[in-house]
Amino acid sequence: MIERGGYLPGLSVDEVEWQALYFDGVGSKFEIQVPLLSEDQVRTLTTSVRNAARTKLKAMPVAQIIEIIDCAINRLLDRNDPYRKKCEEILPLVTGYDAEMIRLGLTGYLKTFRKPELQKFLVEDFANPTILDDFQPVPKGGYARAYGPDLLTHIWSGNVPGLPIWSMISGLLVKAGNIGKVPSAEPLFAGWFAEAIAAVAPEISDCFAVVWWKGGNTRLESILLEGSEAVLAYGGNDALKSMRDRTPITTRFLAYGHKVGFGMISKDALDIQKGKLNAHKAAYDVMRYDQHGCYSPHVFFVERGGKVSPREFAEYLAHELDVFESKYPRRSLSDGDLNNIAAWRNEEEIKSFDDPAGGLIGSAGKSWSVAFVDHTERLSPSSLNRTIKVVAVDALAEVVPLIAPYKTTLQTVGISASPDQLFNLSNSLALSGVTRVSALGCMTKPEAGWHHDGRFNLLDLVTLTEIEQSAIDGADTLATFVD
Amino acid sequence: MTQEKIIETLLDFIVADDERAIVGSTTSNEVFNEIALELYRYQFSFNDPFRHFSSQRGRTPRTVKSWQDIPLVPINAFKKLCLSCCRPDDAPYLFTTSGTTETGVKGKSYHSSLDVYDASMTRGFKEFFIADRDSIEMSVLYPSEEVMPNSSLAHYFSLAIKNFGTPQSAYVMNHEGIDFEALFERLNEAEVNKEPHALLGASYSYIPLLEEMRAREISFSLPAGSRLFDTGGFKTKSNAPTLDDFYTDISRAFGVPRDMCINMYGMTELSTQFYDQGNVVCPSVKFGPHWIKTRVVNPVTGRELPQGERGVLAHCDLAHFNIVTSILTEDAGIATADGFKLLGRADGNDARGCSMAVEEFLNAAQT
Repeated sequence: MIERGGYLPGLSVDEVEWQALYFDGVGSKFEIQVPLLSEDQVRTLTTSVRNAARTKLKAMPVAQIIEIIDCAINRLLDRNDPYRKKCEEILPLVTGYDAEMIRLGLTGYLKTFRKPELQKFLVEDFANPTILDDFQPVPKGGYARAYGPDLLTHIWSGNVPGLPIWSMISGLLVKAGNIGKVPSAEPLFAGWFAEAIAAVAPEISDCFAVVWWKGGNTRLESILLEGSEAVLAYGGNDALKSMRDRTPITTRFLAYGHKVGFGMISKDALDIQKGKLNAHKAAYDVMRYDQHGCYSPHVFFVERGGKVSPREFAEYLAHELDVFESKYPRRSLSDGDLNNIAAWRNEEEIKSFDDPAGGLIGSAGKSWSVAFVDHTERLSPSSLNRTIKVVAVDALAEVVPLIAPYKTTLQTVGISASPDQLFNLSNSLALSGVTRVSALGCMTKPEAGWHHDGRFNLLDLVTLTEIEQSAIDGADTLATFVD
Repeated sequence: MTQEKIIETLLDFIVADDERAIVGSTTSNEVFNEIALELYRYQFSFNDPFRHFSSQRGRTPRTVKSWQDIPLVPINAFKKLCLSCCRPDDAPYLFTTSGTTETGVKGKSYHSSLDVYDASMTRGFKEFFIADRDSIEMSVLYPSEEVMPNSSLAHYFSLAIKNFGTPQSAYVMNHEGIDFEALFERLNEAEVNKEPHALLGASYSYIPLLEEMRAREISFSLPAGSRLFDTGGFKTKSNAPTLDDFYTDISRAFGVPRDMCINMYGMTELSTQFYDQGNVVCPSVKFGPHWIKTRVVNPVTGRELPQGERGVLAHCDLAHFNIVTSILTEDAGIATADGFKLLGRADGNDARGCSMAVEEFLNAAQT
């Protein structure tokens, strides 16, 4: 059977032209059909999704939307469900990530969107979530109601499976009509999620759509951008700028650029037992999605003075990565990926000419690379696919100036330190642009309701309509019961 | 071995005009290996950063037994290390890369003498481009050596004109770009006089030229024996034509069949160039002369890949004697029976999640 990407309510398979995308599966090429939409079809979709959302989703209580999403998520969590089976079978072929890593990753991720978690999601942003359903009293006086956009556009990027549903669920919770554009690197999951929602709740099946076009097709993209009330865009800064430039000034444009994460390990966390455990957790964060996540670590800053030295920590980390390789093999790499790794390794090798204690750990034949740097060095991105650097520092506080120039690129920091140190460091890190601090081993698993890049997932999407107290007072004078 | 002796040996090997020189012959392979090992020992002795690099890789004159054992220096190292057997200050010639890949840092090749470079260029260019002729009238779409003294390509074109250009040959590019009037007049004359003409330039120089010709609605039908030369390919993805479209376009615009559209593959980090036998089929197979050998390797491990498998090109160029002979490029390729297919620069941005690319990261820095 040919797998088709996208979700196009109101358009039958025959009405759409399809294009094949090929992925190098194990031993064979895997084909996916993606829709080649015409300008008219994109225009029609924007109108129909907007209209459907206005009449159907906007009228639905948020509690009911939560029930629907919960049902769809539970299907995707059920290993016997056909959609779940497709995820487990096909996503490894498309993304190249290890099947077991995807299976566990999806479960861990999807379970953060069940009903109780969605409720958390709502109260993170709205003290009283029914403000999405009806006018509610607000502390300043008067009443307010929150409206999502009629049409919310999502431009997704990257190949980490599942990420698109984060924003799509946010859109649904605020009752927006949603059109998402999937990237060529992973064009399937968002469409399956849309189908699962439609299967659970056919009455809202035309309130969202999932489309595809080749990255850089500004013609189709502009039609969508111009028809939207809000845009959630993910990608590199150049791509984001191009999209923002084509978005009307009256449309809210929310950009989520690429990010860099790192880890910090205090000397208190470096006795023999904790050192090994932390190296295991650090290796886990590196292994997950081969560092392709915005929350993935690229450097671990390790404090000198513990029982385990930074160099020894780097060796533990190498060992743990080696162990993970047999359990969760690295994805198969393109020439370009290999070139990047070669370039990264070469650079670290050449640098180590002046740093006799530093250098690469392990042979070039491994599926991971660990470089140890025995002097202060600024943060820099790795070449991905399990290449990680350990930088020794005298005190973790020294790290702050090393990351300072990159304020706009920072997101997650995994920290293993004492409570005092954790809060002290977090204060300085926050000022340097870090928006999320997690434990080691949890960097790639944000908790439910996480404020992505420090922003409000839902609040950023809505517009408030306020009835001021004066209007209510005035109305009271006109009530039928007035004497 | 002294530098003088090395130059003498190389010149002798390069100009060798007998069966020995034919690519792949047993004798030439043996001589190649001998010279490569001799050069390795020379570079290990006199090129400090290379000795360091080689030792780090566990390779010393004791363990390097054949040219394939010589450690491959990644081209990036030409930016970070001062790779030269003579003191850089004593090197009369310096070729640098254009420095587009990393902010401002250029790869450097120091040449203590250009005798070998020139001999290598001249022999290769004659065999693969001039072929059956002694000379040809040339129009060069590239600035002269005086304008770009550190460009190996500018030097290359100056040698082409000096050794194989007729007296009427000329540069048709100046500070302001291509001198369209002069070029079109020259091409018109070639048509009228039925004199074969060679147009030479960087691949990207042809793009504005084609645009101008389209705008003026002109094309040429150059006489038989005319040929087109391009080099460098197209590095950026967006707006770049496919190779097939490119050769169709230039072939039509100048009336030169695609088997006479020759692409040269060279780099600042080498002293020898590769050529194809026209571009009827893209990507074409590239060939080099007998003093350079190419392998397709896994760039991380350096392991050689079997014929037909895609990897990264590694070259061993004896003519690059003052720097290092064996380099690891970032160009993807596939080995064929007698050459290799060049597949362009392999960059790893085709599959990337939401983590940041190095270049973008550096650009985002607030200094």
